[in-house]
Amino acid sequence: MSLRTTIVGCGAVAQRLYRKPLQMLEKRGILQVAALVDPQEQHAAALSRYFRSARTHRSLDEALASGSDLTLILTPAHLHCEQTVQALQHGSHVLCEKPMANSATDCARMNAAASECSRVLAIGMVRRFFPAFAQFRDIIQSGQLGALRCFEYHEGHRFDWDVTTPAAFRPRSSGGTGVLFDIGPHVVDHLQWTFGELEVSSYRDDALAGIESDAALQLRSPLGPGSMHISWDCPHANELRVFGSGGEAVLRVDRFDQLALRREAGRFEPQPLSVSFRADASRSTGKRLSPKSYPEAVYVQLIQVVRAIELGESPACDGRAGERCVRLLEAALARAEALPVPWLAPDDQAAFRRLHWRSVA
Amino acid sequence: MSRIAVIGAGGFVGVSLIESSVLGSEAPPRAIVRNFRNMASLCRFGSAVDLRRADAEDVSSLAEALRGAEVAVNVTTGPPAGIVRSTRTIHEACRSAGVRRFVHLSSAVVYGDVPEPIGDDAPPLSKHWMPYARAKGASEVWLRERMSQGGGPEVIVLRPGIVWGVRSSHTVDLARSLSAKTAVLVGAGSGIFNGIYIANLVAAIRAACNLSAGTAGFYNVGDTETVTWLEFFRALGTPLGCDVERLARVSSERFPWSLAAAIDAIQNFGPVNLLYHRVKGHIPDGLKSAIRARLEGPYAYQFPANDYPLRSGISRELWHLQRVGHKLPIAKFARSFTFTPPVFFQEGIRRSLGWLASLRSAAGPRTLERLGTLHGN
Repeated sequence: MSLRTTIVGCGAVAQRLYRKPLQMLEKRGILQVAALVDPQEQHAAALSRYFRSARTHRSLDEALASGSDLTLILTPAHLHCEQTVQALQHGSHVLCEKPMANSATDCARMNAAASECSRVLAIGMVRRFFPAFAQFRDIIQSGQLGALRCFEYHEGHRFDWDVTTPAAFRPRSSGGTGVLFDIGPHVVDHLQWTFGELEVSSYRDDALAGIESDAALQLRSPLGPGSMHISWDCPHANELRVFGSGGEAVLRVDRFDQLALRREAGRFEPQPLSVSFRADASRSTGKRLSPKSYPEAVYVQLIQVVRAIELGESPACDGRAGERCVRLLEAALARAEALPVPWLAPDDQAAFRRLHWRSVA
Repeated sequence: MSRIAVIGAGGFVGVSLIESSVLGSEAPPRAIVRNFRNMASLCRFGSAVDLRRADAEDVSSLAEALRGAEVAVNVTTGPPAGIVRSTRTIHEACRSAGVRRFVHLSSAVVYGDVPEPIGDDAPPLSKHWMPYARAKGASEVWLRERMSQGGGPEVIVLRPGIVWGVRSSHTVDLARSLSAKTAVLVGAGSGIFNGIYIANLVAAIRAACNLSAGTAGFYNVGDTETVTWLEFFRALGTPLGCDVERLARVSSERFPWSLAAAIDAIQNFGPVNLLYHRVKGHIPDGLKSAIRARLEGPYAYQFPANDYPLRSGISRELWHLQRVGHKLPIAKFARSFTFTPPVFFQEGIRRSLGWLASLRSAAGPRTLERLGTLHGN
C-alpha cells in the first residue's frame, strides 16, 4: 500500500530537490503525495501541477485531519519543531529537512514526541547518500591513511538557491539560520559520521548586527583534530582534506563522485567508486542505485525512510543524530569570537571586532 | 534616512561597499537587491543596513526603494541582455525618486585591447566581440545622450578595469591556475594588467558619492601602479609556489582555440547568449555539473602542483585582457575628486594572499606556513 504523504513547505527545497524523486516514487506506487501545505498559495499551486491527486492546504492542521502516513517538513528551520511534533502527534511518520531545529531544546522535544508516538523521525541529511562521501568514510574508518593527523573541511560559494523567503537571513533571534545552521548541519553530520563524535575547540564568525555568512570551527574528534570553514559569500576550496601518517585523502564536497588518495608522498590517485544504496522499498529485491545528482540522492533517502516505516530499519540519520548536530552548533555559538579579517585595513579590522555581535552582546 | 542607496548590493562589489560603510560607522547604507538569495552576503550586517528588495528592471518598485536617498550607485550584474535595460530603468527610477546623483559602474572592457593611448572621454568600441562589453558600451552611449539632454540626476560613470582582490572569484580562479601551474601567459606577459584592487574601487565609489566633489562625467578608475601581466602573475603566483617563468605561453597574435574556448565563443554569440541565459536556469543540476567538470578538466588535488604542463587552455576573455597595450589614465578622476587610491599594489597582493589562504582555495598547507598564519584556523 502506498504511503499517503504530506509535503509541508512548497518552496525551493520541495521544488528543486523533492519534486522529481517524489514523482518517481508515486509512479512506482511506493507513496502518494496527498497534501501540499504552504501559507503562500502560489507555491502549493506550483507543486500541485506535478501531483494531480494532492489537495492544497494553507495550514498543517487541515492537511493532517485528512490523514497522513508520512509528513515531509520542508519549511524554514524555525518552524520545524512545532510542525514535526504536530505531525507525530497526529500519528504520522516524519522526515524533517536539516537543520532538525534551531535549538537543542526543540530537538529534544521532537525526539520525545517521536518516542511517545512510536513514529519514525528521520532527518534529511542527503549527503550520506553521495557515493564518494560514503566511500571516503570507509577509507578513513578502515585506517587506510594510518594515524589521522588532522582534517580540514572547506565549503563556500556565493549563495545561489532561489529561496522563496528571507527566513534564513534574519537575525538568529528572529529564527534565521545563518550559514552555521544552513550548511553547518550537513557538514557536522558528515564529519561526525566519518570521524566520530565531535567537540568544539573554537568558533569564529563574521556576524555584526545580523547573522553570520562565514563561520570557522576548530574541532576535536576521536580520530584526531580538524577544522571546518563554511561560507555563503566566498569561493572556498570545497573539499575535505585528511592528513594521515600513511597518506592524504581529498573528497570534493561539491561533487558526488570525486575523491582521491595518495600514499606517503606519492601522487594523488582518483578512486573508482563502488558504493551504492538500496533503491527499492521491498524486503526481497536487491535493486541498488549510486546517486549522481541531488534528486537521486533524495530518492534513495526517501526509500530509506519508507523502509524504516515499513520494515523497521533505521533511517540513515535519525532524530538523535540530528540533535547531536544541533547541540554541537549551539556549543560553537557559545564560544563565538570575531573571525580574523587581516585583509581589511587596520582601522576596519578594529571596527569589525568592536561591532561583532559577541562584543556588542 | 540612508543617503546612499546601493543597487545590486549583494554582489562582490556591492558587499565590499556596504562593508566599508558599516565599518566606517556611517549612516546605515541602503542595500537594494533583486532576490532573497542576494541577501545571503548581507545578512551579517543586520540592522546596520537598510535592506530592501526591488527589481532593477522595474521603475516603480525601484523608485520606491530609492525614495529619500541622495545618491544611487549601480553595481548590478547579470546577463548582458539586461544591462542596457537596467541602466535605463535605474536612471528613470532615480529621476522619479528625486535622487541627486547616479553613480554608474561601467567597465574598462568597453575599450577592448587599448592598442593606442586613450582618454576618459573616448567613446566605447562600436564593435566588440564580447556581449558584456557591447552592453556596457551601449549603456554608456545611452547615458551620454541623457546627460546631453539635461534633467534627471547628475550622472557619474566609473570605468574600473579588472576588479581584483578579496571576494573576487576572478582572482580566485587566477590564483588556482597559478597554484595548479596551468595559468597561461600571452606573449611575453608584457600586456598591461588594467586592474583596480577592490578597496581602491570602493574608495573611488565613495568619493564619487560625495555631492560636494566632482562633476558629472565619465571617469576611468584604477590602481596607481602600471603593472604588466607577468608582474601580476609573479606577485600573486610566487608565494603560491609557482615559478611564472615556467608557465605555458601562447601567441599574442592569434588566439589558440580549444573546446572550452569554442563553447565560450558560441555562448558569446548574440542570440545564443540570450538563449543561454534564458535556459541555463532550467538545465538539470546533474547535467550542468557534468558539463562543468568536463570543461574544467582534471581537478588539482595537489597544490602547488608538481608539473608545469607544456600546453594549457586560455579563455578568449583572458587572452584579450592580457593583450591590453596601455594603462587607462586615472588622472581625471584623481583631479576631480581629489582622490588617491589608498591601497598600493603590493599591499593588495598581501591582503589577497591572506584571504586566499583562509579559503584554502589556492594554497596548500606548506604554502600556508610560508605565508604565515593569516587566518584564525
